[in-house]
Amino acid sequence: MSLVDLIYLSQKSLRSNILRSVLTSLGIIIGVSSVITMISIGAGARLEVEQQIERFGSNNLILRSQSSNNRGVSMGNNSVNSLTLKDMEALKNELPAIAAIAPRVSLSTQIIANGNNWLATVTGSTNDYFALGNWKFENGRKFQEDEINSGSRVAIIGKTVQKNLFGTDSPIDEVIRINKVPFTVIGLLDAKGGTAWADLDDTIIVPLKTAKQRLVAKKFPGDQIRSMTINVSSSELLFKTEKDIDTVMRKLHKISANGNPDFVIRNYAQFLNARQESSRVMSILLATVAGISLIVGGIGIMNIMLVTVTERTKEIGVCMSVGAKKRDVLLQFLIESLMISLIGGCLGIALGLGVIFGVSEYFNWKMSLDYMSLVLSFVFSSSIGVIFGFYPARKAASLNPIDALRYE
Amino acid sequence: MININAITKEYIMGDNKLLALNEVDVSIKEGEFVSIMGSSGSGKSTLMNIIGCLDVPTSGDYFFRNKNISNYNSNMLAELRNKDIGFIFQNFNLLPRLNALENVNLPLLYSGKNVKERTKLSMEALENVGLKDRKDHKPNQLSGGQQQRVSIARAIAGNPKLILADEPTGALDSYTSLEIMKILNDLNSNGITIILVTHEKDIAQYGSRIIKMKDGKIIEDKKNVSS
Repeated sequence: MSLVDLIYLSQKSLRSNILRSVLTSLGIIIGVSSVITMISIGAGARLEVEQQIERFGSNNLILRSQSSNNRGVSMGNNSVNSLTLKDMEALKNELPAIAAIAPRVSLSTQIIANGNNWLATVTGSTNDYFALGNWKFENGRKFQEDEINSGSRVAIIGKTVQKNLFGTDSPIDEVIRINKVPFTVIGLLDAKGGTAWADLDDTIIVPLKTAKQRLVAKKFPGDQIRSMTINVSSSELLFKTEKDIDTVMRKLHKISANGNPDFVIRNYAQFLNARQESSRVMSILLATVAGISLIVGGIGIMNIMLVTVTERTKEIGVCMSVGAKKRDVLLQFLIESLMISLIGGCLGIALGLGVIFGVSEYFNWKMSLDYMSLVLSFVFSSSIGVIFGFYPARKAASLNPIDALRYE
Repeated sequence: MININAITKEYIMGDNKLLALNEVDVSIKEGEFVSIMGSSGSGKSTLMNIIGCLDVPTSGDYFFRNKNISNYNSNMLAELRNKDIGFIFQNFNLLPRLNALENVNLPLLYSGKNVKERTKLSMEALENVGLKDRKDHKPNQLSGGQQQRVSIARAIAGNPKLILADEPTGALDSYTSLEIMKILNDLNSNGITIILVTHEKDIAQYGSRIIKMKDGKIIEDKKNVSS
C-alpha cells in the first residue's frame, strides 16, 4: 500500500473523531508551545544583554556621589557632590585592574541653535567617555588635546539633539548656545536608541574643563564631579574591583566599613546577571513543563491509540481478510499517531507564537523567535508520535486475522 | 484447486481440548459451487476459515492450487488472500467510514494497484452487482441487501479464483437472499469457484455439491442433482 493511500485512510479515521484527535494532542500542544516559548525567552534575554552591553559598554562600573545621612537627615540627592578628580586619580593609582576612568559632570539646560530651542542633558567629560560608553561617531571627531587643556567651547551632540535643532542637516561646524554660551559642534554621535527610562541620544558632550568653567562652575566647584564610569580590564575582576573601589573610597572619604557611604557603585553586570538568571529560571521552568507535557502527551497518544486498536479490532480483521499484511496495519496505526502528534505540533507552534507575541507585547519582555525552535518542535512531536504510537500499532499488527474478525 | 489431507484443528478452552476439525479430507475442483452445511459447532466455519487462509490448522496438509501452504508465513498468506480469495461475510463487514467505492477498493489498495487501475476494477465490480450509482454512499446509507452487494463487489474486485461466503444471506430477508444467491450463481457460471457455508437447506440447494458436517467431521458429500 502506498504512503499516500495510508495517509488518506489515516486522516479519514482521524477526521471521523476530530474532538478526540485534538484532545489527544493537547499534551503535545502544551509541550511544543512551551519549547518554543522557552527557547524564545532564552534567546530574547541573550539579545537584550548583548544590546545593553552595546549601549553601556561592557565591564563598566558607575561610581556616583550620593547624599549621606547627616545625623538622620538626608541631604537630598543633588545636594552634595562628594566625588572629586582627586578620588579619580587615587583610584587609578591604587587599583591596577582599572583600565580607564571617564569623569562626568552634567546639567540639564536650554540649547538654542538655528532658531530652535531644546532642553538636553549636557555632559562634561573626556575622550574616554566615548570609548567606555560604546559611542560611535556618525560624523566629525573627538576632542583634541589642546581643546581639552584650553577649555575650548566645542561640543559633540547626539542624534536627538541634531534632529530637534537641525533636522536632517549636518550640525558640524554649526554654533549652538548652551545656557547662552556659544559652542561649535565638532562631532555627531551614532544613534543608540532609548531605554525604558531615557533617550540616550538626547545628549551633548563637551570637554570637562570647559563644562566646569563655563556651565557648572557653581554646581561643581573646585574639582568636584558628579560621577565616573570606571572600566575594568577584565570581566573576572569586575566584582572584586567593585569591592576594592568601595574600600578605597571609604578610606579616602574617611567612612568606616559599616558607615553610610556618600557614594554608590552601580554594576551593570549585576543587573545583566540578574536578568539572565531570571530568564534562566523561567527557561528551566518551561523546560520542565515542556518535558512533562510531552511525555504525558505521548502517553495520552499511546492510550488513545490502544483504545482505537481495540475499537477497530474487527476492522483490522476485515483489512487482513482482504490482504493487509502486518506491515500495512502497523504503518497505518503509526501514521495515525504521527498525524495526531503533528497536529499537536502545529497547534503548539501556533499557541507558542501567540504566547511569544502576547508576552513581548504586554509585558515588554524581549523575546526572539528562533527558527530552529520550530524545526525542533516538529522533530520532537513527530518522534513522540512514532515512539508512543509504536506499541499500539504493533499490537494491532500482531492480531490474528480470524480472532480479529470474530471480535465483537 | 483445493486439496485438504487429514486436517485437524484443536482449540484449547481452559483445561478442555475442543476438536473443531477431526482429520478432515476434502478436495474441491476449480469451478465448483460447494455448499457446506451443518449445525453450529459442526466445524463448518472452521473449515472455511482454514480454506480461506484466515486460520491455520493444528495438523494436516493444505494444498491450494497444488502448492502446500501449510508452511506459508503470515505475509504469504495475506498475499494469497489478497490475490486469489474473496470473502463474503454474514454481517457484510464493510468499513463504516469509507463509501461503497472505497470499500471495494480496499483489496486493490493492498495489492498496490495505482489509482486509475483500481478505480476501473472497482467500478466494474460495482457495475456487476448493480450498484454503480451508489458508489459514493456510506454503508449506513445502504440497505442490507445493497451492503451485501458492495461486499460481493469487494470480494470480486481483485478477480479472485475462489469466493468464500459465510452465511451470506443470514442477515437478509428471503427476497434479498434470492438476489444475492443469483449474483453468486452468475459468478460461478463465469468460472469462479464458490464455497458457501450455510445452515439453511434451500440456500444450500444453489450449490452443485453439498457437504454436510457434524462434530468436526464430514458426514455426507454428494452432488446436488437438483441444481
